Amino acid sequence: MSYDAYLGGEPVIITAALTGGVHGKEANPNIPETPEEIGRAAADAEAAGASVVHLHARKPNGERAFSTERFQAITDEVRARTDDIIVQHSTGGTGAPLEVRRQPLRTDPAPEMASLDMGPLNRYDHLTSENTRGMVDSLHDEMVERGIKPELEVFNDGHLNETHQLLDRRSLADPVYATLIFGSGTLTRPRPRNFLNAIDNLPEGARFNTLAFGRHQLPFAAMGMLFGGHVRVGLEDNVYYRRGELAESNAQLVERVADLASLLGREVATTREAREILGLESQR
Amino acid sequence: MTCPYLDYREASGDDSFETARAYCTVAERFVQPMRADICNDRYDLDHEAHCEIYREHEDGTESSGDDS
Repeated sequence: MSYDAYLGGEPVIITAALTGGVHGKEANPNIPETPEEIGRAAADAEAAGASVVHLHARKPNGERAFSTERFQAITDEVRARTDDIIVQHSTGGTGAPLEVRRQPLRTDPAPEMASLDMGPLNRYDHLTSENTRGMVDSLHDEMVERGIKPELEVFNDGHLNETHQLLDRRSLADPVYATLIFGSGTLTRPRPRNFLNAIDNLPEGARFNTLAFGRHQLPFAAMGMLFGGHVRVGLEDNVYYRRGELAESNAQLVERVADLASLLGREVATTREAREILGLESQR
Repeated sequence: MTCPYLDYREASGDDSFETARAYCTVAERFVQPMRADICNDRYDLDHEAHCEIYREHEDGTESSGDDS
Protein backbone atom coordinates (compact mmCIF):
# COMPACT_ATOMS: atom_id res chain seq x y z
CA MET A 1 0.00 0.00 0.00
CA SER A 2 1.30 3.44 -0.85
CA TYR A 3 0.47 6.99 -1.87
CA ASP A 4 -0.22 5.54 -5.33
CA ALA A 5 -2.81 3.33 -3.70
CA TYR A 6 -4.41 6.43 -2.24
CA LEU A 7 -4.50 8.01 -5.67
CA GLY A 8 -5.98 4.76 -6.96
CA GLY A 9 -8.95 5.37 -4.74
CA GLU A 10 -9.61 2.07 -3.01
CA PRO A 11 -12.44 2.54 -0.51
CA VAL A 12 -11.32 2.92 3.09
CA ILE A 13 -12.42 0.37 5.63
CA ILE A 14 -13.37 1.94 8.96
CA THR A 15 -13.11 -0.33 11.96
CA ALA A 16 -14.86 0.78 15.13
CA ALA A 17 -13.22 -0.44 18.34
CA LEU A 18 -16.26 -0.05 20.52
CA THR A 19 -15.30 -0.91 24.07
CA GLY A 20 -11.92 -2.57 24.73
CA GLY A 21 -10.98 -4.00 28.06
CA VAL A 22 -8.40 -1.69 29.57
CA HIS A 23 -10.53 1.30 30.56
CA GLY A 24 -14.29 1.58 30.96
CA LYS A 25 -17.00 3.92 32.09
CA GLU A 26 -14.67 5.33 34.75
CA ALA A 27 -12.79 6.95 31.85
CA ASN A 28 -15.80 7.92 29.74
CA PRO A 29 -19.37 7.09 30.75
CA ASN A 30 -20.29 6.76 27.06
CA ILE A 31 -18.23 3.60 26.60
CA PRO A 32 -20.62 0.71 25.90
CA GLU A 33 -20.09 -2.22 28.27
CA THR A 34 -23.21 -4.39 28.34
CA PRO A 35 -24.17 -6.57 25.36
CA GLU A 36 -27.14 -4.32 24.64
CA GLU A 37 -25.04 -1.17 24.82
CA ILE A 38 -22.39 -2.71 22.56
CA GLY A 39 -25.06 -3.86 20.10
CA ARG A 40 -26.53 -0.38 19.90
CA ALA A 41 -23.09 1.17 19.52
CA ALA A 42 -22.34 -1.23 16.67
CA ALA A 43 -25.53 -0.25 14.86
CA ASP A 44 -24.76 3.44 15.26
CA ALA A 45 -21.17 2.92 14.10
CA GLU A 46 -22.37 1.02 11.05
CA ALA A 47 -24.76 3.83 10.19
CA ALA A 48 -21.89 6.30 10.52
CA GLY A 49 -19.68 4.36 8.11
CA ALA A 50 -17.96 1.53 9.96
CA SER A 51 -17.81 -1.80 8.16
CA VAL A 52 -15.97 -3.71 10.91
CA VAL A 53 -16.53 -3.75 14.66
CA HIS A 54 -13.73 -4.85 16.96
CA LEU A 55 -15.26 -6.40 20.06
CA HIS A 56 -14.19 -7.19 23.60
CA ALA A 57 -16.46 -8.68 26.23
CA ARG A 58 -17.10 -7.39 29.72
CA LYS A 59 -18.81 -8.47 32.89
CA PRO A 60 -21.77 -6.44 34.21
CA ASN A 61 -19.38 -4.36 36.34
CA GLY A 62 -17.28 -3.50 33.28
CA GLU A 63 -14.41 -5.87 34.04
CA ARG A 64 -12.87 -8.02 31.34
CA ALA A 65 -14.62 -11.19 30.26
CA PHE A 66 -13.19 -13.81 27.93
CA SER A 67 -15.76 -16.59 28.03
CA THR A 68 -17.37 -17.82 24.84
CA GLU A 69 -20.76 -17.31 26.49
CA ARG A 70 -20.13 -13.63 27.14
CA PHE A 71 -18.80 -13.08 23.63
CA GLN A 72 -21.82 -14.96 22.30
CA ALA A 73 -24.19 -12.59 24.09
CA ILE A 74 -22.38 -9.61 22.61
CA THR A 75 -22.06 -10.90 19.08
CA ASP A 76 -25.73 -11.94 19.12
CA GLU A 77 -26.72 -8.39 20.06
CA VAL A 78 -24.42 -6.93 17.41
CA ARG A 79 -25.70 -9.22 14.67
CA ALA A 80 -29.32 -8.60 15.64
CA ARG A 81 -28.96 -4.82 15.61
CA THR A 82 -26.72 -4.31 12.55
CA ASP A 83 -27.40 -4.87 8.87
CA ASP A 84 -24.23 -6.53 7.63
CA ILE A 85 -21.28 -5.43 9.73
CA ILE A 86 -18.13 -7.56 9.92
CA VAL A 87 -17.59 -8.91 13.42
CA GLN A 88 -14.04 -9.04 14.71
CA HIS A 89 -13.36 -10.51 18.16
CA SER A 90 -10.33 -9.63 20.22
CA THR A 91 -8.05 -12.41 21.39
CA GLY A 92 -5.95 -9.98 23.39
CA GLY A 93 -5.78 -10.47 27.12
CA THR A 94 -2.92 -9.27 29.28
CA GLY A 95 -2.28 -11.85 31.96
CA ALA A 96 -4.81 -14.31 30.57
CA PRO A 97 -3.57 -17.80 29.66
CA LEU A 98 -3.93 -19.28 26.20
CA GLU A 99 -7.00 -21.38 26.96
CA VAL A 100 -8.83 -18.27 28.14
CA ARG A 101 -7.80 -16.31 25.07
CA ARG A 102 -9.12 -19.00 22.72
CA GLN A 103 -12.64 -18.56 24.05
CA PRO A 104 -13.66 -15.59 21.86
CA LEU A 105 -12.98 -17.71 18.76
CA ARG A 106 -15.60 -20.29 19.71
CA THR A 107 -18.87 -18.42 19.25
CA ASP A 108 -21.54 -19.68 16.88
CA PRO A 109 -21.12 -18.46 14.23
CA ALA A 110 -17.46 -17.79 14.53
CA PRO A 111 -16.42 -14.17 14.08
CA GLU A 112 -15.35 -13.33 10.55
CA MET A 113 -12.15 -11.83 11.91
CA ALA A 114 -10.14 -11.90 15.12
CA SER A 115 -7.20 -9.92 16.37
CA LEU A 116 -3.82 -11.58 16.77
CA ASP A 117 -1.25 -9.70 18.84
CA MET A 118 2.14 -10.11 17.21
CA GLY A 119 4.31 -10.01 20.30
CA PRO A 120 4.90 -8.77 23.83
CA LEU A 121 4.03 -5.39 25.24
CA ASN A 122 4.43 -3.89 28.69
CA ARG A 123 1.51 -2.85 30.84
CA TYR A 124 1.78 -0.57 33.86
CA ASP A 125 5.13 -0.91 35.67
CA HIS A 126 5.37 -4.61 36.44
CA LEU A 127 3.39 -6.48 33.83
CA THR A 128 3.99 -7.75 30.32
CA SER A 129 1.45 -9.16 27.92
CA GLU A 130 3.66 -11.97 26.64
CA ASN A 131 2.15 -13.11 23.34
CA THR A 132 4.85 -15.72 22.76
CA ARG A 133 5.32 -17.17 19.27
CA GLY A 134 3.82 -20.39 20.55
CA MET A 135 0.71 -18.55 21.68
CA VAL A 136 0.50 -16.61 18.41
CA ASP A 137 0.76 -19.83 16.40
CA SER A 138 -1.86 -21.59 18.51
CA LEU A 139 -4.37 -18.77 18.20
CA HIS A 140 -3.64 -18.45 14.48
CA ASP A 141 -4.16 -22.17 13.93
CA GLU A 142 -7.52 -22.15 15.67
CA MET A 143 -8.56 -19.15 13.59
CA VAL A 144 -7.70 -21.08 10.43
CA GLU A 145 -9.66 -24.13 11.63
CA ARG A 146 -12.71 -21.96 12.23
CA GLY A 147 -12.44 -19.91 9.04
CA ILE A 148 -11.56 -16.69 10.87
CA LYS A 149 -9.32 -14.11 9.20
CA PRO A 150 -6.57 -12.88 11.53
CA GLU A 151 -6.05 -9.17 11.95
CA LEU A 152 -2.36 -8.95 12.83
CA GLU A 153 -1.83 -6.34 15.54
CA VAL A 154 1.61 -4.76 15.14
CA PHE A 155 2.38 -2.75 18.26
CA ASN A 156 5.95 -1.82 17.32
CA ASP A 157 8.64 -2.37 14.70
CA GLY A 158 9.81 -5.58 16.36
CA HIS A 159 6.35 -6.92 15.68
CA LEU A 160 6.96 -6.24 11.99
CA ASN A 161 9.77 -8.77 12.22
CA GLU A 162 7.39 -11.10 14.02
CA THR A 163 4.87 -10.65 11.21
CA HIS A 164 7.43 -11.67 8.59
CA GLN A 165 8.44 -14.63 10.76
CA LEU A 166 4.83 -15.71 11.19
CA LEU A 167 4.57 -15.79 7.40
CA ASP A 168 7.63 -18.04 7.36
CA ARG A 169 5.97 -20.41 9.84
CA ARG A 170 2.42 -20.30 8.57
CA SER A 171 0.64 -19.76 5.27
CA LEU A 172 -1.79 -16.88 5.66
CA ALA A 173 -4.54 -16.24 3.18
CA ASP A 174 -4.17 -13.15 1.01
CA PRO A 175 -4.32 -10.38 1.68
CA VAL A 176 -2.37 -10.26 4.94
CA TYR A 177 -4.10 -7.62 7.02
CA ALA A 178 -1.99 -5.84 9.62
CA THR A 179 -2.97 -3.09 12.01
CA LEU A 180 -0.11 -0.66 12.68
CA ILE A 181 -0.40 0.70 16.20
CA PHE A 182 1.09 3.93 17.52
CA GLY A 183 1.18 5.29 21.03
CA SER A 184 3.14 5.37 24.26
CA GLY A 185 5.04 2.67 26.15
CA THR A 186 5.96 -0.39 24.09
CA LEU A 187 4.13 0.92 21.05
CA THR A 188 5.76 2.59 18.07
CA ARG A 189 6.25 6.28 18.83
CA PRO A 190 3.52 8.22 17.03
CA ARG A 191 5.65 10.14 14.56
CA PRO A 192 5.00 10.45 10.82
CA ARG A 193 8.42 9.06 9.84
CA ASN A 194 7.74 5.98 11.99
CA PHE A 195 4.46 5.49 10.20
CA LEU A 196 6.22 5.67 6.81
CA ASN A 197 8.88 3.25 8.01
CA ALA A 198 6.24 0.82 9.20
CA ILE A 199 4.33 0.73 5.94
CA ASP A 200 7.62 0.35 4.03
CA ASN A 201 8.40 -2.77 6.06
CA LEU A 202 5.12 -4.59 5.67
CA PRO A 203 5.11 -7.91 3.83
CA GLU A 204 4.63 -7.63 0.08
CA GLY A 205 0.97 -7.27 -0.78
CA ALA A 206 -0.19 -6.71 2.78
CA ARG A 207 -3.04 -4.32 3.47
CA PHE A 208 -2.77 -2.17 6.55
CA ASN A 209 -5.04 -0.61 9.08
CA THR A 210 -3.95 2.43 11.11
CA LEU A 211 -4.53 2.72 14.84
CA ALA A 212 -3.17 5.42 17.13
CA PHE A 213 -4.14 6.03 20.71
CA GLY A 214 -5.52 9.17 22.29
CA ARG A 215 -4.94 12.46 20.53
CA HIS A 216 -2.98 10.70 17.81
CA GLN A 217 -6.08 8.88 16.57
CA LEU A 218 -7.25 11.50 14.10
CA PRO A 219 -3.91 12.57 12.54
CA PHE A 220 -2.81 8.97 12.10
CA ALA A 221 -6.15 8.07 10.57
CA ALA A 222 -5.53 10.88 8.10
CA MET A 223 -2.06 9.53 7.31
CA GLY A 224 -3.40 6.03 6.95
CA MET A 225 -5.95 7.18 4.44
CA LEU A 226 -3.38 9.23 2.49
CA PHE A 227 -1.16 6.21 2.08
CA GLY A 228 -3.84 3.86 0.90
CA GLY A 229 -4.49 2.19 4.22
CA HIS A 230 -7.55 1.63 6.35
CA VAL A 231 -8.40 3.11 9.74
CA ARG A 232 -9.56 2.11 13.19
CA VAL A 233 -11.19 4.55 15.59
CA GLY A 234 -13.35 4.18 18.65
CA LEU A 235 -13.61 4.59 22.39
CA GLU A 236 -11.35 1.61 23.06
CA ASP A 237 -8.44 3.63 21.71
CA ASN A 238 -9.43 7.21 22.44
CA VAL A 239 -12.07 8.55 24.82
CA TYR A 240 -11.87 12.17 23.64
CA TYR A 241 -13.36 13.96 20.68
CA ARG A 242 -10.95 16.86 21.07
CA ARG A 243 -8.70 18.09 23.86
CA GLY A 244 -10.66 18.23 27.10
CA GLU A 245 -13.92 17.08 25.51
CA LEU A 246 -15.03 13.49 25.98
CA ALA A 247 -16.41 11.78 22.91
CA GLU A 248 -20.16 11.30 22.96
CA SER A 249 -20.10 7.95 21.20
CA ASN A 250 -18.20 5.61 18.95
CA ALA A 251 -20.37 6.77 16.08
CA GLN A 252 -19.19 10.34 16.59
CA LEU A 253 -15.58 9.22 16.06
CA VAL A 254 -16.53 7.08 13.06
CA GLU A 255 -18.48 9.91 11.48
CA ARG A 256 -15.51 12.24 11.78
CA VAL A 257 -13.12 9.95 9.91
CA ALA A 258 -15.81 9.15 7.35
CA ASP A 259 -16.12 12.88 6.69
CA LEU A 260 -12.35 13.13 6.48
CA ALA A 261 -12.23 10.30 3.96
CA SER A 262 -14.73 12.13 1.80
CA LEU A 263 -12.68 15.32 1.99
CA LEU A 264 -9.59 13.38 0.94
CA GLY A 265 -11.39 11.78 -1.96
CA ARG A 266 -11.60 8.24 -0.63
CA GLU A 267 -14.93 6.57 -0.50
CA VAL A 268 -15.91 4.80 2.70
CA ALA A 269 -16.10 1.07 2.10
CA THR A 270 -19.43 -0.63 2.39
CA THR A 271 -19.47 -3.93 4.21
CA ARG A 272 -19.61 -5.69 0.84
CA GLU A 273 -16.58 -3.76 -0.40
CA ALA A 274 -14.75 -4.40 2.85
CA ARG A 275 -15.30 -8.14 2.46
CA GLU A 276 -13.97 -7.99 -1.08
CA ILE A 277 -10.87 -6.08 0.03
CA LEU A 278 -10.22 -8.41 2.96
CA GLY A 279 -11.05 -11.62 1.12
CA LEU A 280 -13.93 -12.57 3.40
CA GLU A 281 -16.99 -14.63 2.61
CA SER A 282 -20.19 -13.24 4.03
CA GLN A 283 -21.67 -15.25 6.89
CA ARG A 284 -25.00 -13.49 6.73
CA MET B 1 -6.21 -13.64 47.69
CA THR B 2 -7.43 -10.29 46.49
CA CYS B 3 -5.73 -7.00 47.25
CA PRO B 4 -6.60 -5.80 50.77
CA TYR B 5 -7.06 -2.30 49.38
CA LEU B 6 -9.72 -3.33 46.86
CA ASP B 7 -13.30 -2.33 47.49
CA TYR B 8 -16.41 -2.44 45.30
CA ARG B 9 -18.45 0.74 45.28
CA GLU B 10 -21.32 2.19 43.31
CA ALA B 11 -20.29 5.79 43.87
CA SER B 12 -17.40 8.00 44.90
CA GLY B 13 -17.21 11.74 44.53
CA ASP B 14 -18.84 12.74 41.28
CA ASP B 15 -18.72 9.21 39.84
CA SER B 16 -21.60 6.78 40.19
CA PHE B 17 -22.45 3.49 38.47
CA GLU B 18 -25.40 1.13 38.33
CA THR B 19 -23.19 -1.82 39.25
CA ALA B 20 -20.53 -1.65 41.95
CA ARG B 21 -17.06 -1.29 40.43
CA ALA B 22 -13.54 -1.91 41.62
CA TYR B 23 -12.21 0.92 43.76
CA CYS B 24 -8.68 1.32 45.06
CA THR B 25 -8.74 2.63 48.61
CA VAL B 26 -5.06 3.63 48.37
CA ALA B 27 -5.35 5.62 45.15
CA GLU B 28 -8.88 6.67 46.15
CA ARG B 29 -10.31 6.19 42.70
CA PHE B 30 -12.15 3.65 40.60
CA VAL B 31 -9.64 1.47 38.83
CA GLN B 32 -9.50 0.47 35.21
CA PRO B 33 -11.21 -2.86 34.42
CA MET B 34 -7.92 -4.48 33.41
CA ARG B 35 -6.31 -3.33 36.63
CA ALA B 36 -9.24 -4.83 38.55
CA ASP B 37 -8.05 -8.25 37.35
CA ILE B 38 -4.73 -7.52 39.04
CA CYS B 39 -6.53 -6.44 42.22
CA ASN B 40 -8.46 -9.71 42.18
CA ASP B 41 -5.45 -11.91 41.31
CA ARG B 42 -7.34 -13.28 38.33
CA TYR B 43 -5.84 -15.34 35.52
CA ASP B 44 -2.02 -15.12 35.83
CA LEU B 45 -2.11 -11.76 37.58
CA ASP B 46 -0.96 -11.02 41.11
CA HIS B 47 -1.46 -7.71 42.90
CA GLU B 48 1.72 -8.13 44.97
CA ALA B 49 3.83 -8.60 41.85
CA HIS B 50 2.02 -6.52 39.25
CA CYS B 51 0.44 -3.52 40.98
CA GLU B 52 2.76 -0.56 41.46
CA ILE B 53 0.18 1.13 43.70
CA TYR B 54 0.18 -1.80 46.11
CA ARG B 55 3.97 -2.07 46.03
CA GLU B 56 4.49 1.62 46.63
CA HIS B 57 2.04 1.60 49.47
CA GLU B 58 3.60 -1.46 51.07
CA ASP B 59 7.26 -0.52 50.91
CA GLY B 60 7.44 3.02 49.62
CA THR B 61 10.02 2.18 46.98
CA GLU B 62 7.95 2.25 43.82
CA SER B 63 6.97 5.19 41.70
CA SER B 64 3.41 5.63 40.52
CA GLY B 65 2.84 3.83 37.26
CA ASP B 66 1.55 4.72 33.86
CA ASP B 67 -2.21 4.36 33.98
CA SER B 68 -2.73 4.79 30.27
